[in-house]
Amino acid sequence: MSVTEYDVIILGAGVAGLTAGTFLAGRGFKVALVTSGEPTACLSTGCIDVCSRNHNPLVGIKELPPAHPYHLVPGETIIESLNNFQAAMSDIGIPYVGTEKENRLVLSALGTFKTSCLVPSTMAAAPQDTKASIHIVSFAGLKDFYPSYIISRRNNSKTSVYDAGVSSTMGIASHFEDKDFLKSFIIWLKEQNIDEDTIAFPAVLGLESAVEIVKTISTSVGKPVFEIPTIPPSMPGRRLFNALKDNFRKKGGNIYWGWPVIGVEKSGKIIEAVTTESKGRPNSLNGKAFILATGSFVGGGLTATREAIIENVFHLPVHVPGPRDTWFENDYFSFNHAIGRAGIKVDSFLRPTETPLENIFVCGGILADTEILKYGCGHGLALATAHVAAKSCMEYIR
Amino acid sequence: MIKTDVIIIGGGATGCGIARDLALRGIPHCLVEKGDFAAGATGACHGLLHSGGRYVVTDPIAAHECYNENLILRRIGEKCVEQTGGLFVRLPGDSKRFRELFLRGCEEAGIPAEAISSTLALDLVPNLNPEIEEAIKVPDCSIDPFRLCMLNIRTSQLRDGLIFTRHKVTEIVKSHGRCIGIKATDQATGEEREIRGNLIINATGAWANMIASLAGCEVPMTLAKGSLVITNHRLTNMVINRLRPPSDGDIIVPNEAVCLAGTTSLSVENPDKINIESTEVDTIISEAGRMIPHFNNTRIIRAFSGVRPLLKSKKVDAHEISRGFQIIDHQNGMYSIVGGKLTTFRLMAEKMVDVIMASFKLKKACETAEIPLDGQEELSGYPLSKRLADMKNIVCECELVSKDEVQRIITETGTRNVGDIQHRTRLGMGPCQGGFCTFRALGIMNDMSVISPEQSMDMLRGFLQRRFRGIRYALWGDQLREEQLVEYIYLGILAMEKPQ
Ligand SMILES: Cc1cc2nc3c(=O)[nH]c(=O)nc-3n(C[C@H](O)[C@H](O)[C@H](O)COP(=O)(O)OP(=O)(O)OC[C@H]3O[C@@H](n4cnc5c(N)ncnc54)[C@H](O)[C@@H]3O)c2cc1C
Ligand SMILES: Cc1cc2nc3c(=O)[nH]c(=O)nc-3n(C[C@H](O)[C@H](O)[C@H](O)COP(=O)(O)OP(=O)(O)OC[C@H]3O[C@@H](n4cnc5c(N)ncnc54)[C@H](O)[C@@H]3O)c2cc1C
Repeated sequence: MSVTEYDVIILGAGVAGLTAGTFLAGRGFKVALVTSGEPTACLSTGCIDVCSRNHNPLVGIKELPPAHPYHLVPGETIIESLNNFQAAMSDIGIPYVGTEKENRLVLSALGTFKTSCLVPSTMAAAPQDTKASIHIVSFAGLKDFYPSYIISRRNNSKTSVYDAGVSSTMGIASHFEDKDFLKSFIIWLKEQNIDEDTIAFPAVLGLESAVEIVKTISTSVGKPVFEIPTIPPSMPGRRLFNALKDNFRKKGGNIYWGWPVIGVEKSGKIIEAVTTESKGRPNSLNGKAFILATGSFVGGGLTATREAIIENVFHLPVHVPGPRDTWFENDYFSFNHAIGRAGIKVDSFLRPTETPLENIFVCGGILADTEILKYGCGHGLALATAHVAAKSCMEYIR
Repeated sequence: MIKTDVIIIGGGATGCGIARDLALRGIPHCLVEKGDFAAGATGACHGLLHSGGRYVVTDPIAAHECYNENLILRRIGEKCVEQTGGLFVRLPGDSKRFRELFLRGCEEAGIPAEAISSTLALDLVPNLNPEIEEAIKVPDCSIDPFRLCMLNIRTSQLRDGLIFTRHKVTEIVKSHGRCIGIKATDQATGEEREIRGNLIINATGAWANMIASLAGCEVPMTLAKGSLVITNHRLTNMVINRLRPPSDGDIIVPNEAVCLAGTTSLSVENPDKINIESTEVDTIISEAGRMIPHFNNTRIIRAFSGVRPLLKSKKVDAHEISRGFQIIDHQNGMYSIVGGKLTTFRLMAEKMVDVIMASFKLKKACETAEIPLDGQEELSGYPLSKRLADMKNIVCECELVSKDEVQRIITETGTRNVGDIQHRTRLGMGPCQGGFCTFRALGIMNDMSVISPEQSMDMLRGFLQRRFRGIRYALWGDQLREEQLVEYIYLGILAMEKPQ
């Protein structure tokens, strides 16, 4: 068994884990991040939901129920985490627009509005009302994008279809990275003689160079251009993940990719190491402190069985909202399914309660009482709690 | 106003079987169903074409009927019957005396039954619990109830039968004390339609008393709800029964790529208000798990329940009530036909139509047992080679349904209902339970302009609610994870609804 020593071991490569890792690595700590796979960020719209319940997210956060983990984050840390995020994304070339004081609207593929806070600049030109006319460009064979859903809500809008020769989200996006493809696409687009105020695309405008591509198209046709987030696979989600990952590596962080944590070495109240499985050979990573950011059910941090809900790595006590019958309400659209409250309860240092273990800090989607869908607080809460966990970790190590 | 000779209410196996029999005997008829075909118990059943084995001890007459019908259906309905064969397995602790009664019963009813060793049984079904004491092999089969209804209806359609699905009967029209017709509401448009006929047949299963009461009569019945779970895998290629008196969770039936296990039996008052309890799901899983241990950790993709229309009986435990059926002459131009089983639907239809022929003083004999079901040639489905050729246009990844196929169904049937597409293509029947492909199917309908975008949103909403009712009781493990993903997609990414 190979053994490697670190200051901090982070579990999970989501928005929470990568953010906490970047924060610590940037302050000189030796950080390893272990992940079994991709995070939910890759499935997401790439938009940073901070709290969608109030036009001002910061006010919305104050109104959350007392048990909500946002209340464990000092106000200035919330702002700091969003500022750090925006600065890092600008540096890396995928700038985000918006401020923490104001939510924005993002046009969805159903023609409804998603409320979010910080949005990728490729979505910045999305209309904020139902009046503006839109020309929607769709792609032949793209099976998760149907302009008619949007047009039903905006009858002054039109659509045209381009045949990119491929039909998958990924395939079209990588075609857009090709200069010649982009050139002939723009020729076609100009021939459409578009009258509408803005031009919308499903979010397939390139992998890394989306900002550049949107700008090129927009200048050539002389109209604002924006992307509409699609259901997974989501390009803006992937761009966000890649940017966070690159940023972490730039700061000197180490990623152990595709290594699910399968075991834990303990000594009394202290976790000494986690064992991961890689290519059949167990691998032990020693650390002084551990940050658990393995996400909720979709991310893989929690698993529900018929009898219980389990935290998969440390088997920490999980706050279970009630017996299985009560996890879901009958009304699918109620937003009140109790399962949204399942997770790990923590103290103000984000240390799990009801366990003697001292050197674990928990952040992101795995926390209890988040109700992420109901309050619209996915990535925003991950950024904020990652900052608190990282700071607690620093304090603990000193 | 439409005029016909016989009006059939209910498009379950019984109603569809009656339509076919009437068609073959040349009687003009019209069938009215409030949902799609098989919307009631027929579509919510195990799909076991009984060998009769299950009833040999408790109800020898029903057992004999089952075996006869089993032979007939295997002959006339090749394309909707899978001749899996079945095993009755005896676990340690199960009564040996029941085994003796069982074997004797089979012999008396003429049902071929062969006792085999546990080793042999495990050769046949490797997933079986290795601890079984022995097994008895019987000719059980798996049957596709929806296809069965479609094929029966086919004969009726070929012979000018009138069929109205998604039409709910709301009134029985009477004149001088006789039933002379019905009024039905189109569930999509709200339009009312009046149909006149000489006789009315009430084949509405668990709803029979509701329809009877519209005509001022009564059908005494006990309603017993039964629940079933569907697994993501086909864990057995044979039907597996428990060798003991009928009880909860003692049948597992393979069907296409999945298995159905059940059932339970709880008496209910209203067939439109049925819930599944997690204790029922747990019971089924643990009982099925005793026969096939994999059941305990396999992925359950859905749980659902149906209501058995059983004739009123004084016995309390509904498992024991006779599965025999009854034809009730209400003496006012309406007949009700209730009870029975899916397996015996053809026999029930035959007896019913015999009564009608007698009342019309006509003589033509029943031919439904001899003539193969119409339309089976077309039912070879959508060949895999074709599916693979369409690969880049697959809209349902779980069941490999292509865009072309969806468009074809829409064009051919003129349907405006995504459920109809699902029944006819298996779209949405896989692990994601339509979470992804329904959005696509509705988008396709939308782009084809056969529905308005507003309708497509309503349908999407309705679909997600109905889907949730099915999966709600099977949410743990991977299924819960997938459910959370789908919820984030519709409510998060697509912002389909906003929290209040
Ligand atoms: C479909 C979908 C769309 C969403 N859209 C948005 C959106 O548009 N905007 C928004 O703000 N929020 C959105 N969210 C919510 C948001 O993604 C999460 O709330 C947030 O990013 C939480 O991230 P996390 O870092 O805590 O965990 P996750 O993103 O869940 O990541 C968990 C990580 O842990 C790893 N892991 C799990 N178990 C182990 C193990 N045993 N060993 C090692 N590694 C492990 C996983 O591989 C993964 O990398 C969406 C969520 C989903 C599911
Ligand atoms: C859980 C369970 C498992 C079963 N397993 C098996 C099995 O494995 N093998 C077997 O042989 N039998 C099985 N059965 C029994 C079998 O399902 C039924 O006996 C059979 O399907 C009854 O068919 P039916 O046509 O009489 O009734 P149904 O299928 O209930 O049909 C009645 C129809 O009437 C319609 N209707 C009701 N009201 C109206 C109205 N107002 N207007 C218009 N239409 C109306 C309903 O929508 C419905 O489609 C099972 C039953 C249950 C509940």
